[in-house]
Amino acid sequence: MGPLTFNDIISTEWNYVIALIIGMAFGYILEASGFSSSRKLIGVFYGYDFVVLRVFFTAVSVAMIGLLYLDYFGFLNFSQLYVLPTYLNAQILGAIIMGFGFLLGGFCPGTSLTALAIGKIDGWVFTAGIWLGIFIFSEAFPLIEDFYNSGYLGYVTLMDQFGVSPYVVAFVFALVAVSAFTVASIVRRRVKDVQY
Amino acid sequence: MEYVNQDFKKVYWNPYFGGLMLGLLIIATFYITGRGVGATGGTKSTVVATVNAVAPEYAEESDFYSKYLDEDQNPMKNWLVFETLGIIIGAFISGSIKGRVSFKTEHSPKITANKRLVFALLGGLLFGIGSQFARGCTSGAALSGSAVLSLGGFITMLGIFGTAYLFAYFFRKLWI
Amino acid sequence: MKKRYIILAIVFLGIAAGLLTLPATVEKTPVTPTELLMDIHSNNRFINSDQLAKRIIDGDPVLFLVDVRDKAEYDKYTLPGAINIPFDQLLNDDWRGYLNQNVNDIVFFSNDDVLAEQAWVLCKQLGFKHLYVLDGGLNYWFETIMQPKMPKATEPTEAFDLYTFREGASIYFGAGSVAVPVPAEPKPKPQVKKTIPVQKKVKASAEGGC
Repeated sequence: MGPLTFNDIISTEWNYVIALIIGMAFGYILEASGFSSSRKLIGVFYGYDFVVLRVFFTAVSVAMIGLLYLDYFGFLNFSQLYVLPTYLNAQILGAIIMGFGFLLGGFCPGTSLTALAIGKIDGWVFTAGIWLGIFIFSEAFPLIEDFYNSGYLGYVTLMDQFGVSPYVVAFVFALVAVSAFTVASIVRRRVKDVQY
Repeated sequence: MEYVNQDFKKVYWNPYFGGLMLGLLIIATFYITGRGVGATGGTKSTVVATVNAVAPEYAEESDFYSKYLDEDQNPMKNWLVFETLGIIIGAFISGSIKGRVSFKTEHSPKITANKRLVFALLGGLLFGIGSQFARGCTSGAALSGSAVLSLGGFITMLGIFGTAYLFAYFFRKLWI
Repeated sequence: MKKRYIILAIVFLGIAAGLLTLPATVEKTPVTPTELLMDIHSNNRFINSDQLAKRIIDGDPVLFLVDVRDKAEYDKYTLPGAINIPFDQLLNDDWRGYLNQNVNDIVFFSNDDVLAEQAWVLCKQLGFKHLYVLDGGLNYWFETIMQPKMPKATEPTEAFDLYTFREGASIYFGAGSVAVPVPAEPKPKPQVKKTIPVQKKVKASAEGGC
Protein backbone atom coordinates (compact mmCIF):
# COMPACT_ATOMS: atom_id res chain seq x y z
CA MET A 1 0.00 0.00 0.00
CA GLY A 2 1.64 3.18 -1.10
CA PRO A 3 3.33 5.47 -0.34
CA LEU A 4 5.81 2.75 0.41
CA THR A 5 8.38 4.47 2.58
CA PHE A 6 5.72 6.23 4.56
CA ASN A 7 4.07 2.95 5.41
CA ASP A 8 7.38 1.29 6.16
CA ILE A 9 7.19 -1.15 3.34
CA ILE A 10 10.56 0.14 2.22
CA SER A 11 12.88 1.17 4.98
CA THR A 12 14.09 4.72 5.17
CA GLU A 13 17.73 3.84 4.60
CA TRP A 14 16.86 3.37 0.96
CA ASN A 15 15.51 6.89 0.74
CA TYR A 16 18.64 8.46 -0.64
CA VAL A 17 19.31 5.69 -3.10
CA ILE A 18 15.75 6.01 -4.32
CA ALA A 19 16.16 9.77 -4.57
CA LEU A 20 19.21 9.30 -6.73
CA ILE A 21 17.51 6.84 -9.04
CA ILE A 22 14.40 8.94 -9.39
CA GLY A 23 16.54 11.95 -10.10
CA MET A 24 18.40 10.05 -12.78
CA ALA A 25 15.20 9.02 -14.47
CA PHE A 26 13.92 12.58 -14.21
CA GLY A 27 17.08 14.03 -15.71
CA TYR A 28 17.11 11.45 -18.46
CA ILE A 29 13.52 12.07 -19.48
CA LEU A 30 13.94 15.82 -19.42
CA GLU A 31 17.08 15.79 -21.49
CA ALA A 32 15.76 13.24 -23.94
CA SER A 33 12.69 15.39 -24.50
CA GLY A 34 14.86 18.30 -25.38
CA PHE A 35 14.61 20.35 -22.26
CA SER A 36 18.32 21.03 -22.14
CA SER A 37 18.02 23.59 -24.88
CA SER A 38 16.86 27.01 -23.78
CA ARG A 39 15.77 28.06 -27.23
CA LYS A 40 13.64 24.99 -27.50
CA LEU A 41 12.05 25.70 -24.16
CA ILE A 42 11.26 29.31 -24.83
CA GLY A 43 9.53 28.33 -28.06
CA VAL A 44 6.34 27.72 -26.13
CA PHE A 45 5.95 31.42 -25.52
CA TYR A 46 6.69 32.43 -29.09
CA GLY A 47 4.84 29.70 -30.86
CA TYR A 48 7.61 27.90 -32.64
CA ASP A 49 8.03 24.91 -30.34
CA PHE A 50 5.41 23.71 -27.92
CA VAL A 51 7.40 20.92 -26.36
CA VAL A 52 7.08 22.43 -22.88
CA LEU A 53 3.31 22.55 -23.10
CA ARG A 54 2.98 19.05 -24.46
CA VAL A 55 5.33 17.37 -22.05
CA PHE A 56 4.16 19.30 -19.03
CA PHE A 57 0.44 18.95 -19.47
CA THR A 58 0.71 15.31 -20.46
CA ALA A 59 2.86 14.59 -17.44
CA VAL A 60 0.57 16.35 -14.96
CA SER A 61 -2.51 14.78 -16.48
CA VAL A 62 -1.08 11.27 -16.56
CA ALA A 63 0.16 11.62 -13.01
CA MET A 64 -3.19 12.90 -11.75
CA ILE A 65 -5.15 10.15 -13.41
CA GLY A 66 -2.68 7.48 -12.39
CA LEU A 67 -2.60 8.53 -8.76
CA LEU A 68 -6.36 8.72 -8.55
CA TYR A 69 -6.80 5.26 -10.02
CA LEU A 70 -4.17 3.83 -7.70
CA ASP A 71 -5.92 5.45 -4.78
CA TYR A 72 -9.30 4.11 -5.83
CA PHE A 73 -8.04 0.56 -6.16
CA GLY A 74 -6.39 0.75 -2.79
CA PHE A 75 -2.76 0.66 -3.88
CA LEU A 76 -2.10 4.11 -2.62
CA ASN A 77 -3.38 6.30 0.14
CA PHE A 78 -3.92 9.63 -1.54
CA SER A 79 -4.33 11.50 1.71
CA GLN A 80 -0.81 10.53 2.75
CA LEU A 81 0.82 12.21 -0.21
CA TYR A 82 2.64 15.45 0.23
CA VAL A 83 0.45 18.36 -0.69
CA LEU A 84 2.05 21.72 -1.28
CA PRO A 85 1.01 24.28 1.32
CA THR A 86 -0.85 27.27 0.01
CA TYR A 87 0.48 30.72 0.79
CA LEU A 88 -1.70 32.79 -1.46
CA ASN A 89 0.17 36.10 -1.57
CA ALA A 90 3.65 34.68 -1.42
CA GLN A 91 3.01 32.09 -4.09
CA ILE A 92 1.43 34.50 -6.51
CA LEU A 93 4.36 36.86 -6.14
CA GLY A 94 6.80 33.99 -6.44
CA ALA A 95 5.10 32.73 -9.57
CA ILE A 96 5.18 36.16 -11.19
CA ILE A 97 8.87 36.53 -10.41
CA MET A 98 9.54 33.09 -11.79
CA GLY A 99 7.59 33.89 -14.94
CA PHE A 100 9.96 36.77 -15.60
CA GLY A 101 12.87 34.56 -14.70
CA PHE A 102 11.77 32.10 -17.34
CA LEU A 103 11.55 34.77 -20.01
CA LEU A 104 14.91 36.26 -19.17
CA GLY A 105 16.83 33.10 -18.53
CA GLY A 106 15.10 30.64 -20.76
CA PHE A 107 15.28 27.91 -18.18
CA CYS A 108 13.55 26.66 -15.13
CA PRO A 109 15.58 25.08 -12.34
CA GLY A 110 15.07 21.48 -13.43
CA THR A 111 15.94 22.15 -17.03
CA SER A 112 18.91 24.28 -16.12
CA LEU A 113 20.32 21.25 -14.35
CA THR A 114 19.94 19.17 -17.49
CA ALA A 115 21.63 21.89 -19.53
CA LEU A 116 24.38 22.05 -16.95
CA ALA A 117 24.87 18.32 -17.27
CA ILE A 118 25.54 18.47 -20.98
CA GLY A 119 27.92 21.35 -20.73
CA LYS A 120 25.76 24.29 -21.67
CA ILE A 121 27.39 27.35 -20.22
CA ASP A 122 24.14 29.24 -20.03
CA GLY A 123 22.85 26.36 -17.92
CA TRP A 124 25.79 26.74 -15.55
CA VAL A 125 25.26 30.45 -15.27
CA PHE A 126 21.55 30.04 -14.70
CA THR A 127 22.14 27.56 -11.90
CA ALA A 128 24.68 29.94 -10.38
CA GLY A 129 21.99 32.57 -10.63
CA ILE A 130 19.58 30.37 -8.71
CA TRP A 131 22.20 29.93 -6.00
CA LEU A 132 22.65 33.67 -5.77
CA GLY A 133 18.95 34.26 -5.82
CA ILE A 134 18.37 31.92 -2.89
CA PHE A 135 21.25 33.54 -1.08
CA ILE A 136 19.85 37.01 -1.61
CA PHE A 137 16.47 35.80 -0.48
CA SER A 138 17.83 34.31 2.69
CA GLU A 139 19.82 37.39 3.53
CA ALA A 140 16.81 39.57 3.00
CA PHE A 141 14.64 37.11 4.87
CA PRO A 142 14.07 39.15 8.03
CA LEU A 143 12.60 41.91 5.92
CA ILE A 144 10.30 39.74 3.86
CA GLU A 145 9.49 37.10 6.42
CA ASP A 146 6.01 38.40 7.03
CA PHE A 147 5.09 38.48 3.42
CA TYR A 148 6.67 35.07 2.97
CA ASN A 149 4.18 33.65 5.42
CA SER A 150 1.16 35.59 4.31
CA GLY A 151 -1.98 34.17 2.85
CA TYR A 152 -1.55 30.80 4.50
CA LEU A 153 -4.46 28.52 3.80
CA GLY A 154 -2.99 25.27 4.89
CA TYR A 155 -2.07 22.18 2.94
CA VAL A 156 -5.10 22.56 0.75
CA THR A 157 -6.08 20.65 -2.29
CA LEU A 158 -8.52 21.77 -4.89
CA MET A 159 -11.01 19.40 -3.38
CA ASP A 160 -10.71 21.02 0.02
CA GLN A 161 -10.92 24.54 -1.32
CA PHE A 162 -13.67 24.27 -3.88
CA GLY A 163 -15.43 21.12 -2.86
CA VAL A 164 -15.11 19.50 -6.26
CA SER A 165 -14.52 15.84 -6.79
CA PRO A 166 -10.93 15.05 -7.74
CA TYR A 167 -12.14 12.86 -10.57
CA VAL A 168 -13.93 15.78 -12.16
CA VAL A 169 -10.82 17.93 -11.86
CA ALA A 170 -8.68 15.25 -13.46
CA PHE A 171 -11.10 14.79 -16.33
CA VAL A 172 -11.48 18.51 -16.94
CA PHE A 173 -7.73 18.91 -16.84
CA ALA A 174 -7.34 16.13 -19.40
CA LEU A 175 -9.85 17.89 -21.63
CA VAL A 176 -8.05 21.19 -21.24
CA ALA A 177 -4.75 19.48 -22.03
CA VAL A 178 -6.00 17.89 -25.23
CA SER A 179 -7.58 21.17 -26.36
CA ALA A 180 -4.35 22.99 -25.62
CA PHE A 181 -2.42 20.49 -27.73
CA THR A 182 -4.79 20.99 -30.63
CA VAL A 183 -4.51 24.76 -30.45
CA ALA A 184 -0.75 24.43 -30.14
CA SER A 185 -0.54 22.39 -33.31
CA ILE A 186 -2.61 24.94 -35.17
CA VAL A 187 -0.48 27.80 -33.96
CA ARG A 188 2.71 25.91 -34.70
CA ARG A 189 1.77 25.49 -38.29
CA ARG A 190 1.22 29.17 -38.77
CA VAL A 191 4.34 30.42 -37.03
CA LYS A 192 7.55 30.97 -38.88
CA ASP A 193 10.12 28.22 -38.41
CA VAL A 194 13.02 28.98 -36.17
CA GLN A 195 16.33 27.19 -36.58
CA TYR A 196 17.97 26.36 -33.31
CA MET B 1 6.96 16.80 -37.33
CA GLU B 2 8.67 18.35 -34.34
CA TYR B 3 12.21 18.28 -35.66
CA VAL B 4 13.24 21.47 -37.32
CA ASN B 5 16.30 19.85 -38.86
CA GLN B 6 17.37 16.27 -39.25
CA ASP B 7 20.66 16.56 -37.38
CA PHE B 8 20.93 13.42 -35.26
CA LYS B 9 21.87 15.50 -32.27
CA LYS B 10 18.56 17.27 -32.41
CA VAL B 11 16.50 14.11 -32.44
CA TYR B 12 14.46 14.24 -29.30
CA TRP B 13 11.71 12.06 -27.95
CA ASN B 14 8.19 12.62 -29.11
CA PRO B 15 6.91 15.12 -26.52
CA TYR B 16 3.79 13.13 -25.69
CA PHE B 17 5.94 10.12 -25.05
CA GLY B 18 8.21 12.21 -22.89
CA GLY B 19 5.20 13.53 -21.04
CA LEU B 20 3.88 10.03 -20.52
CA MET B 21 7.22 8.88 -19.15
CA LEU B 22 7.43 11.87 -16.89
CA GLY B 23 3.89 11.31 -15.66
CA LEU B 24 4.66 7.68 -14.89
CA LEU B 25 7.80 8.76 -13.07
CA ILE B 26 5.82 11.16 -10.94
CA ILE B 27 3.35 8.41 -10.10
CA ALA B 28 6.20 6.10 -9.18
CA THR B 29 7.84 8.79 -7.07
CA PHE B 30 4.68 9.45 -5.14
CA TYR B 31 3.96 5.77 -4.80
CA ILE B 32 7.37 4.99 -3.41
CA THR B 33 8.14 8.03 -1.35
CA GLY B 34 4.92 9.95 -0.90
CA ARG B 35 6.49 13.14 -2.20
CA GLY B 36 7.08 14.61 -5.60
CA VAL B 37 10.26 15.74 -7.29
CA GLY B 38 11.95 19.09 -6.91
CA ALA B 39 14.74 21.05 -8.49
CA THR B 40 15.58 24.00 -6.27
CA GLY B 41 15.83 22.13 -2.99
CA GLY B 42 19.27 20.81 -3.78
CA THR B 43 20.61 24.25 -4.56
CA LYS B 44 19.03 25.63 -1.42
CA SER B 45 20.80 23.01 0.66
CA THR B 46 24.04 24.08 -0.96
CA VAL B 47 23.39 27.66 0.06
CA VAL B 48 22.60 26.64 3.62
CA ALA B 49 25.66 24.43 3.82
CA THR B 50 27.92 27.15 2.46
CA VAL B 51 26.65 29.79 4.85
CA ASN B 52 26.94 27.34 7.68
CA ALA B 53 30.52 26.53 6.76
CA VAL B 54 31.54 30.15 6.43
CA ALA B 55 29.69 31.64 9.35
CA PRO B 56 28.09 29.02 11.58
CA GLU B 57 26.96 31.29 14.39
CA TYR B 58 25.27 33.64 11.97
CA ALA B 59 23.48 30.72 10.43
CA GLU B 60 22.25 29.53 13.80
CA GLU B 61 20.81 32.92 14.62
CA SER B 62 19.02 33.52 11.38
CA ASP B 63 15.38 32.58 11.10
CA PHE B 64 15.88 31.22 7.65
CA TYR B 65 18.95 29.04 7.93
CA SER B 66 18.34 27.68 11.37
CA LYS B 67 15.30 25.83 10.12
CA TYR B 68 17.46 23.68 7.91
CA LEU B 69 20.33 23.12 10.28
CA ASP B 70 20.12 20.07 12.42
CA GLU B 71 22.63 19.50 15.21
CA ASP B 72 24.38 16.45 13.95
CA GLN B 73 23.28 16.22 10.40
CA ASN B 74 24.93 17.76 7.41
CA PRO B 75 22.43 20.02 5.65
CA MET B 76 23.51 18.41 2.42
CA LYS B 77 22.24 15.04 3.55
CA ASN B 78 18.86 15.64 2.17
CA TRP B 79 16.48 13.85 -0.21
CA LEU B 80 16.48 16.69 -2.69
CA VAL B 81 20.26 16.92 -2.85
CA PHE B 82 20.52 13.32 -3.91
CA GLU B 83 17.68 13.75 -6.33
CA THR B 84 19.37 16.82 -7.84
CA LEU B 85 22.58 14.86 -8.25
CA GLY B 86 20.55 12.20 -9.98
CA ILE B 87 19.08 14.73 -12.40
CA ILE B 88 22.53 15.83 -13.45
CA ILE B 89 23.73 12.27 -13.90
CA GLY B 90 20.65 11.17 -15.78
CA ALA B 91 20.72 14.15 -18.09
CA PHE B 92 24.40 13.58 -18.75
CA ILE B 93 23.74 9.97 -19.71
CA SER B 94 20.96 10.94 -22.05
CA GLY B 95 23.02 13.71 -23.59
CA SER B 96 26.07 11.52 -24.10
CA ILE B 97 24.09 8.82 -25.84
CA LYS B 98 22.89 11.33 -28.38
CA GLY B 99 26.20 13.12 -28.59
CA ARG B 100 24.83 16.36 -27.26
CA VAL B 101 27.51 16.96 -24.67
CA SER B 102 29.70 19.93 -25.44
CA PHE B 103 30.62 23.25 -23.91
CA LYS B 104 28.73 26.03 -25.56
CA THR B 105 26.42 28.88 -24.89
CA GLU B 106 23.17 28.54 -26.69
CA HIS B 107 21.79 31.85 -27.78
CA SER B 108 19.68 33.46 -30.41
CA PRO B 109 21.72 34.71 -33.35
CA LYS B 110 20.28 38.17 -32.72
CA ILE B 111 22.24 38.65 -29.48
CA THR B 112 25.77 37.90 -28.36
CA ALA B 113 26.77 34.99 -26.18
CA ASN B 114 27.77 37.29 -23.37
CA LYS B 115 24.46 39.05 -23.40
CA ARG B 116 22.81 35.66 -23.16
CA LEU B 117 24.89 34.77 -20.16
CA VAL B 118 24.03 38.00 -18.41
CA PHE B 119 20.35 37.34 -18.89
CA ALA B 120 20.77 33.74 -17.83
CA LEU B 121 22.23 34.97 -14.57
CA LEU B 122 19.38 37.42 -14.10
CA GLY B 123 16.84 34.76 -14.90
CA GLY B 124 18.41 32.40 -12.42
CA LEU B 125 18.41 35.10 -9.79
CA LEU B 126 14.73 35.72 -10.24
CA PHE B 127 13.99 32.02 -10.16
CA GLY B 128 15.99 31.61 -6.99
CA ILE B 129 14.02 34.35 -5.27
CA GLY B 130 10.67 33.39 -6.74
CA SER B 131 10.97 29.71 -5.94
CA GLN B 132 11.50 30.47 -2.28
CA PHE B 133 8.36 32.56 -2.11
CA ALA B 134 6.34 29.95 -3.92
CA ARG B 135 7.77 27.00 -2.02
CA GLY B 136 8.62 25.34 -5.26
CA CYS B 137 9.54 25.83 -8.86
CA THR B 138 8.04 24.40 -12.01
CA SER B 139 9.11 20.88 -11.10
CA GLY B 140 8.29 20.87 -7.44
CA ALA B 141 5.24 23.05 -7.30
CA ALA B 142 3.73 23.10 -10.73
CA LEU B 143 4.47 19.54 -11.75
CA SER B 144 4.36 17.53 -8.53
CA GLY B 145 2.03 19.90 -6.75
CA SER B 146 -0.58 19.84 -9.48
CA ALA B 147 -0.35 16.08 -9.79
CA VAL B 148 -1.79 15.79 -6.31
CA LEU B 149 -4.27 18.53 -7.04
CA SER B 150 -2.85 20.94 -4.52
CA LEU B 151 -4.10 24.50 -4.68
CA GLY B 152 -0.62 25.95 -4.30
CA GLY B 153 0.63 23.88 -7.20
CA PHE B 154 -2.04 25.15 -9.55
CA ILE B 155 -1.58 28.74 -8.47
CA THR B 156 2.16 28.53 -9.08
CA MET B 157 1.76 26.82 -12.44
CA LEU B 158 -0.81 29.29 -13.70
CA GLY B 159 1.22 32.18 -12.31
CA ILE B 160 4.45 31.21 -14.00
CA PHE B 161 3.04 30.41 -17.40
CA GLY B 162 0.48 33.18 -17.29
CA THR B 163 3.05 35.82 -16.47
CA ALA B 164 5.46 34.50 -19.06
CA TYR B 165 2.80 34.53 -21.78
CA LEU B 166 1.69 38.01 -20.87
CA PHE B 167 5.14 39.51 -21.03
CA ALA B 168 6.78 37.35 -23.70
CA TYR B 169 6.27 40.04 -26.29
CA PHE B 170 8.54 42.45 -24.44
CA PHE B 171 11.44 40.04 -24.37
CA ARG B 172 11.17 38.74 -27.87
CA LYS B 173 14.40 40.40 -28.92
CA LEU B 174 16.27 37.99 -26.71
CA TRP B 175 14.98 34.94 -28.47
CA ILE B 176 13.65 35.41 -31.99
CA MET C 1 -3.72 16.29 -37.63
CA LYS C 2 -2.26 12.82 -37.74
CA LYS C 3 -4.72 10.05 -37.22
CA ARG C 4 -2.75 8.29 -34.53
CA TYR C 5 -2.77 11.36 -32.35
CA ILE C 6 -6.50 11.56 -32.62
CA ILE C 7 -6.78 7.94 -31.55
CA LEU C 8 -4.34 8.53 -28.70
CA ALA C 9 -6.28 11.56 -27.58
CA ILE C 10 -9.51 9.60 -27.56
CA VAL C 11 -7.96 6.75 -25.59
CA PHE C 12 -6.50 9.21 -23.14
CA LEU C 13 -9.76 11.05 -22.63
CA GLY C 14 -11.50 7.73 -22.29
CA ILE C 15 -9.26 6.73 -19.42
CA ALA C 16 -9.77 10.11 -17.82
CA ALA C 17 -13.51 9.79 -18.25
CA GLY C 18 -13.32 6.41 -16.56
CA LEU C 19 -12.51 8.30 -13.41
CA LEU C 20 -15.87 10.00 -13.55
CA THR C 21 -17.61 6.67 -13.40
CA LEU C 22 -15.99 5.79 -10.12
CA PRO C 23 -18.19 6.21 -7.07
CA ALA C 24 -17.32 9.28 -5.07
CA THR C 25 -15.45 7.64 -2.23
CA VAL C 26 -15.42 4.02 -1.31
CA GLU C 27 -16.09 4.92 2.29
CA LYS C 28 -19.38 6.57 1.56
CA THR C 29 -21.19 3.35 0.70
CA PRO C 30 -23.77 3.02 3.47
CA VAL C 31 -23.78 -0.09 5.58
CA THR C 32 -26.76 -2.18 4.60
CA PRO C 33 -29.03 -3.60 7.32
CA THR C 34 -28.00 -7.13 6.42
CA GLU C 35 -24.33 -6.32 6.81
CA LEU C 36 -25.04 -4.64 10.09
CA LEU C 37 -26.96 -7.62 11.42
CA MET C 38 -24.22 -9.96 10.34
CA ASP C 39 -21.65 -7.84 12.09
CA ILE C 40 -23.73 -7.77 15.25
CA HIS C 41 -24.16 -11.48 15.05
CA SER C 42 -20.52 -12.24 14.52
CA ASN C 43 -19.32 -10.86 17.85
CA ASN C 44 -16.03 -9.86 16.25
CA ARG C 45 -16.36 -6.51 17.85
CA PHE C 46 -15.79 -7.69 21.36
CA ILE C 47 -12.51 -7.31 23.08
CA ASN C 48 -12.34 -8.78 26.53
CA SER C 49 -10.75 -7.15 29.50
CA ASP C 50 -7.64 -9.35 29.46
CA GLN C 51 -6.91 -8.51 25.84
CA LEU C 52 -7.48 -4.86 26.51
CA ALA C 53 -5.28 -4.86 29.58
CA LYS C 54 -2.51 -6.48 27.63
CA ARG C 55 -2.76 -3.95 24.85
CA ILE C 56 -2.71 -1.03 27.24
CA ILE C 57 0.27 -2.42 29.10
CA ASP C 58 2.09 -3.12 25.85
CA GLY C 59 1.48 0.46 24.80
CA ASP C 60 -0.25 -0.46 21.57
CA PRO C 61 -0.01 2.72 19.51
CA VAL C 62 -3.18 2.21 17.55
CA LEU C 63 -5.35 1.59 20.58
CA PHE C 64 -7.85 4.36 21.08
CA LEU C 65 -10.22 4.18 24.06
CA VAL C 66 -13.51 6.00 24.07
CA ASP C 67 -15.50 6.32 27.27
CA VAL C 68 -19.11 6.85 26.26
CA ARG C 69 -20.47 7.59 29.72
CA ASP C 70 -21.13 11.12 30.82
CA LYS C 71 -18.44 13.48 32.03
CA ALA C 72 -19.07 13.04 35.74
CA GLU C 73 -18.47 9.34 35.59
CA TYR C 74 -15.48 9.83 33.31
CA ASP C 75 -13.90 12.20 35.79
CA LYS C 76 -14.43 9.80 38.65
CA TYR C 77 -12.69 6.91 37.02
CA THR C 78 -11.76 5.89 33.53
CA LEU C 79 -9.28 3.70 31.74
CA PRO C 80 -5.83 5.17 31.12
CA GLY C 81 -5.58 7.11 27.91
CA ALA C 82 -9.32 7.14 27.26
CA ILE C 83 -11.09 10.17 25.93
CA ASN C 84 -14.62 11.01 26.89
CA ILE C 85 -17.27 11.22 24.21
CA PRO C 86 -20.60 11.14 26.06
CA PHE C 87 -23.08 9.03 24.20
CA ASP C 88 -25.36 11.88 23.30
CA GLN C 89 -22.48 13.80 21.74
CA LEU C 90 -21.21 10.94 19.63
CA LEU C 91 -22.48 12.39 16.41
CA ASN C 92 -21.10 15.86 16.95
CA ASP C 93 -18.76 17.14 14.29
CA ASP C 94 -16.00 17.71 16.83
CA TRP C 95 -15.57 14.02 17.37
CA ARG C 96 -16.01 13.02 13.79
CA GLY C 97 -12.31 13.20 13.08
CA TYR C 98 -11.55 10.84 15.93
CA LEU C 99 -14.19 8.32 15.03
CA ASN C 100 -14.14 8.24 11.25
CA GLN C 101 -10.65 7.11 10.48
CA ASN C 102 -8.58 4.21 9.30
CA VAL C 103 -5.60 4.19 11.57
CA ASN C 104 -6.64 3.41 15.13
CA ASP C 105 -8.69 0.69 16.73
CA ILE C 106 -11.47 2.41 18.63
CA VAL C 107 -12.72 0.60 21.73
CA PHE C 108 -15.98 1.84 23.18
CA PHE C 109 -16.61 1.15 26.81
CA SER C 110 -19.17 2.04 29.47
CA ASN C 111 -20.17 0.59 32.81
CA ASP C 112 -21.67 -2.51 31.40
CA ASP C 113 -21.53 -2.89 27.68
CA VAL C 114 -25.00 -1.77 26.75
CA LEU C 115 -24.16 1.87 26.11
CA ALA C 116 -20.92 0.95 24.40
CA GLU C 117 -22.80 -1.45 22.17
CA GLN C 118 -25.23 1.25 21.19
CA ALA C 119 -22.36 3.54 20.38
CA TRP C 120 -20.85 0.80 18.29
CA VAL C 121 -24.00 0.21 16.29
CA LEU C 122 -24.45 3.92 15.71
CA CYS C 123 -20.97 4.41 14.38
CA LYS C 124 -20.96 1.18 12.44
CA GLN C 125 -24.06 2.26 10.63
CA LEU C 126 -22.30 5.42 9.53
CA GLY C 127 -19.69 3.27 7.91
CA PHE C 128 -16.88 3.88 10.37
CA LYS C 129 -14.31 1.18 10.65
CA HIS C 130 -12.12 -0.45 13.29
CA LEU C 131 -14.71 -0.24 16.04
CA TYR C 132 -14.74 -2.48 19.09
CA VAL C 133 -16.61 -2.89 22.35
CA LEU C 134 -15.17 -3.77 25.71
CA ASP C 135 -16.93 -6.96 26.64
CA GLY C 136 -18.72 -6.56 29.95
CA GLY C 137 -17.68 -2.96 30.27
CA LEU C 138 -16.03 -1.47 33.30
CA ASN C 139 -17.97 -3.68 35.64
CA TYR C 140 -16.40 -6.77 34.25
CA TRP C 141 -13.07 -4.96 34.08
CA PHE C 142 -13.19 -4.47 37.83
CA GLU C 143 -14.11 -8.06 38.46
CA THR C 144 -11.37 -9.48 36.35
CA ILE C 145 -8.47 -7.06 36.19
CA MET C 146 -8.78 -4.85 39.18
CA GLN C 147 -9.98 -7.46 41.63
CA PRO C 148 -8.99 -10.75 40.15
CA LYS C 149 -10.28 -13.80 41.89
CA MET C 150 -7.84 -16.42 42.95
CA PRO C 151 -8.74 -19.58 41.05
CA LYS C 152 -9.66 -22.68 42.98
CA ALA C 153 -7.01 -25.33 43.35
CA THR C 154 -8.86 -27.63 40.98
CA GLU C 155 -8.65 -25.29 38.07
CA PRO C 156 -6.21 -25.79 35.20
CA THR C 157 -2.86 -23.99 35.01
CA GLU C 158 -4.11 -21.53 32.44
CA ALA C 159 -6.47 -20.19 35.02
CA PHE C 160 -3.53 -19.56 37.34
CA ASP C 161 -1.53 -17.95 34.58
CA LEU C 162 -4.46 -15.73 33.85
CA TYR C 163 -4.75 -14.85 37.49
CA THR C 164 -1.09 -13.90 37.66
CA PHE C 165 -1.46 -11.76 34.63
CA ARG C 166 -4.51 -10.07 36.07
CA GLU C 167 -2.78 -9.44 39.35
CA GLY C 168 0.09 -7.78 37.57
CA ALA C 169 -2.34 -5.79 35.52
CA SER C 170 -4.27 -4.63 38.52
CA ILE C 171 -1.11 -3.29 40.09
CA TYR C 172 -0.26 -1.59 36.84
CA PHE C 173 -3.65 0.04 36.73
CA GLY C 174 -3.36 1.34 40.23
CA ALA C 175 -5.44 -1.00 42.28
CA GLY C 176 -3.96 -2.07 45.58
CA SER C 177 -3.52 -5.82 45.65
CA VAL C 178 -6.29 -5.91 48.21
CA ALA C 179 -8.63 -3.13 47.53
CA VAL C 180 -11.55 -1.46 46.07
CA PRO C 181 -10.20 0.30 43.07
CA VAL C 182 -12.33 3.41 43.16
CA PRO C 183 -10.01 5.98 44.66
CA ALA C 184 -11.17 8.65 47.02
CA GLU C 185 -10.05 11.48 44.86
CA PRO C 186 -10.70 11.39 41.14
CA LYS C 187 -7.99 9.75 39.14
CA PRO C 188 -5.81 12.25 37.32
CA LYS C 189 -7.41 12.74 33.98
CA PRO C 190 -5.36 10.84 31.43
CA GLN C 191 -4.13 12.94 28.55
CA VAL C 192 -5.08 11.97 25.06
CA LYS C 193 -1.66 10.70 24.29
CA LYS C 194 -1.45 9.93 20.63
CA THR C 195 -1.42 12.26 17.71
CA ILE C 196 -4.65 11.39 16.09
CA PRO C 197 -4.47 11.63 12.33
CA VAL C 198 -7.50 13.74 11.62
CA GLN C 199 -8.81 13.61 8.09
CA LYS C 200 -7.36 17.00 7.27
CA LYS C 201 -4.01 17.01 5.60
CA VAL C 202 -2.28 18.85 8.39
CA LYS C 203 -0.68 15.73 9.75
CA ALA C 204 -0.11 12.16 8.70
CA SER C 205 1.26 12.99 5.33
CA ALA C 206 4.70 12.53 3.90
CA GLU C 207 7.28 15.26 4.07
CA GLY C 208 8.16 16.93 0.90
CA GLY C 209 8.93 20.21 -0.79
CA CYS C 210 11.17 21.66 -3.38
